[in-house]
Amino acid sequence: MEKLSDGVAESGGLNGLLQDFINPSLRRFLSWGLVIWVGYLLAVTFFALTGSDLAPYDPAAQQVLARLLPPFSSSSRGFHWLGTDQLGRDLLSNMIAGARLTLFIGLISNVIGMAIGVCLGMLAGYYGGAVDRFVMRLSEAQTAMPMFLVAIFFLTVLGPTVLNVVIILPTLIWPAFARMVRAETLRLRSCLFVEAAVATGATDWTVLWSNILPNMAPRIAVLAVIELGHVMLAEAGLSFLGVGVQPPATTWGLLIARGRTYLAVAWWLAIMPGIMLGLTVLALNMLSRRFAVTSGSAA
Amino acid sequence: MIGDPAALMAPVDASEQEIARLRRQLGLDRPFAEQFATYFGSLIRGDFGQSLWQDRPALTVVLEALPATVLLTLVGLVFAGLGGSLLGVLAGARPESALDRSVNFLSITALSVPNFWLGLLLIVIFAVKLGALPTSGFASWQSLILPAGALAIIHGARVFQLVRSATFEEMTKPYALVARSKGLPERLILWKHILRNTAVTMLTTIGWEYVRMMGGAAFAIEVVFAWPGIGQLMINAASRQDFPVLQAAVIIAGAFVIVTNGAVDLLYRCLDTRIRAA
Repeated sequence: MEKLSDGVAESGGLNGLLQDFINPSLRRFLSWGLVIWVGYLLAVTFFALTGSDLAPYDPAAQQVLARLLPPFSSSSRGFHWLGTDQLGRDLLSNMIAGARLTLFIGLISNVIGMAIGVCLGMLAGYYGGAVDRFVMRLSEAQTAMPMFLVAIFFLTVLGPTVLNVVIILPTLIWPAFARMVRAETLRLRSCLFVEAAVATGATDWTVLWSNILPNMAPRIAVLAVIELGHVMLAEAGLSFLGVGVQPPATTWGLLIARGRTYLAVAWWLAIMPGIMLGLTVLALNMLSRRFAVTSGSAA
Repeated sequence: MIGDPAALMAPVDASEQEIARLRRQLGLDRPFAEQFATYFGSLIRGDFGQSLWQDRPALTVVLEALPATVLLTLVGLVFAGLGGSLLGVLAGARPESALDRSVNFLSITALSVPNFWLGLLLIVIFAVKLGALPTSGFASWQSLILPAGALAIIHGARVFQLVRSATFEEMTKPYALVARSKGLPERLILWKHILRNTAVTMLTTIGWEYVRMMGGAAFAIEVVFAWPGIGQLMINAASRQDFPVLQAAVIIAGAFVIVTNGAVDLLYRCLDTRIRAA
């Protein structure tokens, strides 16, 4: 069930069939797995909220005598779980400090992209006609273009700031929301309860806001979790290529870029932040798969 | 516009007058609108302007880097397509088998990590620790292994996901049941009947993966492995504010993406006769 969630989500009806083939102990194990993933996400969120206060050391504190220490080693300052960088800064503390901006950029960009996509998708699906054609052509045109390259170009011209990154990233993800929401709106518009609402004299706004939107909220949530992962990977890519977030601000993508120079002598500097980012995106993917199955969004 | 290419290009001890002369020589002192109009005017005539940094036509600089990118992406695509399709068919035919579960988890993991990070991981394992393969540049065919491998893993993972669910879906369709109930061996059903129906998904998926590579995914890998292709060129041009080269690179890569998109659409129509009939 868990394993074939993507296939099932599309073909419907197979849910029950598959359920019979999975033994109960496996299902218990899977939900335990889910607890671990959610726990990891909560921990990362907690780090992002508390920031460097909870880190073992001051992320910026340098220590010349403890440069490039491997993981699980100690200096005069104490124990370094993930080692230190070329200036003797504690890597774990920097990763915890970087969680805040990484998650902040990811969440804000995701919410903006979702808001744009959901609004345009609902308008296109509900009104049809010229609005529909305009929105769909726009999203198709954008899907046909190499948007990541366009993002690199614009960030080079406009300047690589956090604000510009947050402006650029939503443009990468809104078409996915718009297409899904449009299809759902088209389906819901012909449902009896929407017809009933229209017949009782509800305005377009009321129908869209209180009849159509709540009925597709689970699907939007599933997509939002997936796209949050995509946005975080895109931010890491831009920061890695030097056109995203700039030092002294820290994100995990930037930590990877910084560690790349020392790959031959200190592999942990580039690899560890990548593991943290990878686990976060993996947890989001696992969560969305599980959510897609259990919320019965195949409906 | 932020940044001044002339100030970056001039020697560190250049005087204000020298920088101004350089700026005039490059045409950077003109109003923004005039520069824009001039650029688009010559773009229509196939002239992408001069590289600010190398004093050669920007298009030449980009076209010189193009073969390396095409070689890398095509080799990566072939391995991604073959590996992803083969494993996808095998896993989709036996859902919940050990193969299905392990490869599926690995592919989700591969899709969750940044591709440039995977490249760095391969460098650490195969070049730094084992010392088996060259890390960067384009010296021999061996330098192709790691960057193409990184591309093949990431893009093969998505091919695997889609082929697997397509195979699984086909297996539950009535024609598969008919074939099974008339006693055809399972191997024949899978490799003859099912495969023919999933082939369309396979080819379009592989086409889409090429779009993703040329749309930026391959460029981060090029930077990691110092592969002398368009991606590497773009990032260098970006850091030197060599806008003509950057623009030409984005336009050329964009043309690849748009042409591939169109080709995939056409291929889809040709292969799937059900669409043609509709």
